[in-house]
Amino acid sequence: MSDRQPDVAGDRQPEAAATEAAVDEPDLDRGVVEAWAARMISNPERAYRAGFYTATIFFIVTTLFPFFWLFVIAVTPRSNLSDIGVFTPGGTPRAEVTIPLLEWTLAVPAGVPVDLNPAAFIEIFTVIPFHRYVFNSFLIATVATVVVLFVASLAGYVFGRLRFRGRNTLLLLVLVTSFFPPAAFFVPLNRLFNANIDVLAPLMQDGSLYNTPYAIFIPLSALYLPLSIFILTTFYSQIPDGLEDAARVEGTTRLGALFRVIVPLSAPGVATAGVLTFITVYNEYFFSSLMTNGLERNWAPMLEGILQFQGQFEVFYNLMAAASIVAVLPVAILVVVAQEKIVSGLTAGAVKE
Amino acid sequence: MTTKQESDTRLLMRPLNWLETRSEEVFAYVLLAPAFALLAVVAFFPLIRTFQFSLLSDQVSDPSPLGGFAGAENYLDLLTGTALLPQQFLDPTFETPILQQALFVTLLFAVLSVLFETLVGFGQALVIDQEFYGRRWVRVAIIIPYAIPIVIQAMIFFLIFNPTIGFGTEFMQWLGIFGDNPLANSSDSFVIVLVADIWKTSAFMALLILAGLQSVDRGLYDVARVSGASKWQQFKYITLPLVAPALLVAMLFRTMDAMRIYGLVDATAGCQTVPSMSCLVITALRGTRRWATASAVAFLTAVVIGVLVAVYLVALRNREAGVT
Repeated sequence: MSDRQPDVAGDRQPEAAATEAAVDEPDLDRGVVEAWAARMISNPERAYRAGFYTATIFFIVTTLFPFFWLFVIAVTPRSNLSDIGVFTPGGTPRAEVTIPLLEWTLAVPAGVPVDLNPAAFIEIFTVIPFHRYVFNSFLIATVATVVVLFVASLAGYVFGRLRFRGRNTLLLLVLVTSFFPPAAFFVPLNRLFNANIDVLAPLMQDGSLYNTPYAIFIPLSALYLPLSIFILTTFYSQIPDGLEDAARVEGTTRLGALFRVIVPLSAPGVATAGVLTFITVYNEYFFSSLMTNGLERNWAPMLEGILQFQGQFEVFYNLMAAASIVAVLPVAILVVVAQEKIVSGLTAGAVKE
Repeated sequence: MTTKQESDTRLLMRPLNWLETRSEEVFAYVLLAPAFALLAVVAFFPLIRTFQFSLLSDQVSDPSPLGGFAGAENYLDLLTGTALLPQQFLDPTFETPILQQALFVTLLFAVLSVLFETLVGFGQALVIDQEFYGRRWVRVAIIIPYAIPIVIQAMIFFLIFNPTIGFGTEFMQWLGIFGDNPLANSSDSFVIVLVADIWKTSAFMALLILAGLQSVDRGLYDVARVSGASKWQQFKYITLPLVAPALLVAMLFRTMDAMRIYGLVDATAGCQTVPSMSCLVITALRGTRRWATASAVAFLTAVVIGVLVAVYLVALRNREAGVT
């Protein structure tokens, strides 16, 4: 007690006294549950803390359990797939336990699973070239991120730091594009990317963009551009004018000042925009599934690879699970490493609105 | 060699020097050019073309899928439920079950998913907003579903509700909610898609609400405590009103996103079972080769989203004006 800060002590003492009073009621003979409830009533702070821990554990379990379960499916041999439990792989010895009063029977694991199949994680690369699909996705996401960062840097600089006529109208125009569903752009784009354009004939097999990475990353770069423009506009507008002026006096061009002074000083903002763009492009489904015919040599992204296990190889549930785990690793690592950036990026954008 | 390099750099420098001598206004427009060129090719131009296509007629068996001018016919067919599609956009006679009408499926999905995601996301945001040991890792665990590719999210729930290997079907049947093969049944699949979406996107709501929570002045809580307000009263009279603007913005983003749902449906139950509006565009285009009708559906989708956005913006403005 004595080493506490005075204000904290003042805060806590009545509560502590209340708790002691509740515990030390000698004439009441309470059971465990009743005593617990009484303590909760006399000291709500405790109830809130209990609620907080319950909620935290509930959220962690619900968000992480599916990954654990995917792993359980992945290591189950194909012959045991119909026997997968909620927590244990198929083939685990189980004992039937009947719960008294309710007459339910529950199969409780009673032993260590003997027959595990970690080879599924290798099989996914031999059955179909899954590594190529992941590489395609990775490449498309990286290129889209670089393009978006460059274009959005120019636009963010203009919206964040320059005064010119039509600024608000143009900003609104950028915002409006993010209101429309991808489907509203799809029909003409599909036609455009399937058309044989003579100029492209020497570069592409048949002169059309269908079945090339361009057909995926061009639409995605444009659709996720507005988000990065907003993030970068916020960050660039916060750099003091003096720094830019100093660089100009030193003799750089206006573009030089942007890329040598403003972009490096806004590194956290650029990283945020980059991480968010990479994740959204890597995760995208609509254009990724429609702009190629699903063959790995035609730059089909990772999602087509996973769906191959669902369609062509009907029964390979364990491979679907293994492939999902492998494909989720890049973004999962990115989230662990860059979580601060994701949080600050999304929250900065929202506060600005 | 040197002269060639020199002339190369000079060639490169020439536009930069030209740019340097322009006024700030011209400089601004030049720097915006790449962004607007990209948006023009991918967004503005296709949007206008989509509208043009939607006014033409379908040519299902002709080499060119778009026929002559048909006026608003495609829209009328879609809105009266007489379009020649496997699923209807809207059937005013209600002979088609509600969950087979794209407009109602999508609206119902948007309303329910945003409602549940707001509640769950608020809970998650309140948890991450606390200071406690291990907060960093709890935060990673809570936001990780947001970063999961849609196809993997779909796989997870496809496997959980697969009747042979998943436990989900058995559990829901035991509750008496699901039938035998939930992934082939419209209402069961709708629930699965809804649960999958809540699992993934609550994290997004949580992050945006967290931004609102962290902008609340902590001193207000001290004042409230001194005046004897309970935790619930603090939440009701301080947290909720101050977070409301951020909450509405987050709900706006989520509603727009929920209205475009496609991937999750396509990879779990399939577009036949749960025909969302974006699904219907692809069915019309790929399944029946009705380009004009597909364009009309796409444009109607955009219109419906536009109306919802307008409703939100009016709500936001009223709140700011103090009308509430």
